[in-house]
Amino acid sequence: MLTNGPAKRVTIFINEDAQRHMTPLHDAIMSYLMRNGISGATATRAYSGFGSQRAMHSAGIEVRARHLPIRIEFVDAPHKVDEVLPELYDMVSDGLIEVQDTSVVKASGTQAEPSPATPREEKKSAATLLRVYLGEADKWRGEPLYDAIVKKLRMMDIAGATVYRGILGYGAKGHEHKRSVFHPMRDLPIVITVIDEPAKIERAVAAVEAMLEDGLIVTSEVEMLRLVRCSGAEAVHEPGNPS
Amino acid sequence: MNRATQAKLLRIHVSESDRFGGKPLYEAIVDKCRELGIAGATALRGVEGYGEADELHGAGLLRRDQPVVISIVDTADHMARLIPEVEKMAPGVMALSDVKVIRVQQGA
Repeated sequence: MLTNGPAKRVTIFINEDAQRHMTPLHDAIMSYLMRNGISGATATRAYSGFGSQRAMHSAGIEVRARHLPIRIEFVDAPHKVDEVLPELYDMVSDGLIEVQDTSVVKASGTQAEPSPATPREEKKSAATLLRVYLGEADKWRGEPLYDAIVKKLRMMDIAGATVYRGILGYGAKGHEHKRSVFHPMRDLPIVITVIDEPAKIERAVAAVEAMLEDGLIVTSEVEMLRLVRCSGAEAVHEPGNPS
Repeated sequence: MNRATQAKLLRIHVSESDRFGGKPLYEAIVDKCRELGIAGATALRGVEGYGEADELHGAGLLRRDQPVVISIVDTADHMARLIPEVEKMAPGVMALSDVKVIRVQQGA
C-alpha cells in the first residue's frame, strides 16, 4: 500500500477514441493499473486540448468534439512505477507519458482492516511525555490553537495527543483563566499531552514551539506500554496481489 | 524559570467537593500558588476516579464530586516552599516528578 514519503507521479495523455484490442485505450490502461496493484489511478476527460497533430479538440465545438484528450494520473512507490512503465510504454502508441518525483503527505483509506480476532501486541519502550500548556482563546490563523496543534501533530505521524480543558488556572499570560457569569467568553486553560518516542517528540516540540505565542512546554521521561492490534496489512505488499 | 532547565511537576489530586476557607479547595490551592509567586497552576477536572476512601467520584444527578488534579510546574526550591503549604490544606495525594522545561514566555 502507498506510504508517506518519496513517490512517483505518472501522467498519461491519450486520445479518448484510441483503441487497444477492441476496447478504449483508457479503459485498458486503467484495468492494467488495477490488476498490477497500483494503489489508485484517476482518468479525467479534458475540456479541450491539442497535441502533436496540431489540431484543437474542444467539447464546445461539436465537429471537433471527437478525439478529446484523456488524462490518466497515478501516484505510487518508485519500484511499483518502474514495474508498470514498460507495459504502459507499449500500450500508449500515440500520446504522452510523463513521470515526476513527488512526495506523499497523506495516504490513507479503508484498506485491510485488522480483524478483531488478531491478538494484540505489546510494545514496551522508553518514551517522552510532552505537555503543552496554553489558553483556550489562543488562535492560530483563525482557528483554535489547540486544534491547530493537534492537526499538525497528526500530520507529523505522532502516535497520539489528548487535549484537556482545565477549570481554573494562571500562568505565562499573567491573567487568571476562570469561567464566570460575567465573562462568558471563556479563556480556560488547555493542556495537550503527547507520548511518543524521544526523536519524534523532539520534532513535535519544534513544531509546537513555532506555533505557540505564550505558554509552557515541558517534557519528561516515561515508560510506554502500547497495546496495538496486529494489522494484516503485510499481505498487501506481495507483488501481483490486487489491493 | 529559564528555558531548557530541569524543573519539577507537582500534581495534587483533590475532589471537586472539597472546600477550604469558604471556597473550593482547588481554587484555594491555585490562590495559594499565586500568593507564593509560583509560575503557574492549572486545575483539570477528571471524568471519574476513586481514591483513598475507595469511593467512586463522579458526576451524579444532584451532586458534582468529580476528581480535580492541579498541575504545577516550577523550580525545585519553589516547590519546597509550596509543598508544606499545600500539605496543610489538602488531604489528598501529591505526586512530584522531574520535567524538562522547554519554553516559558511572559505574555505582553
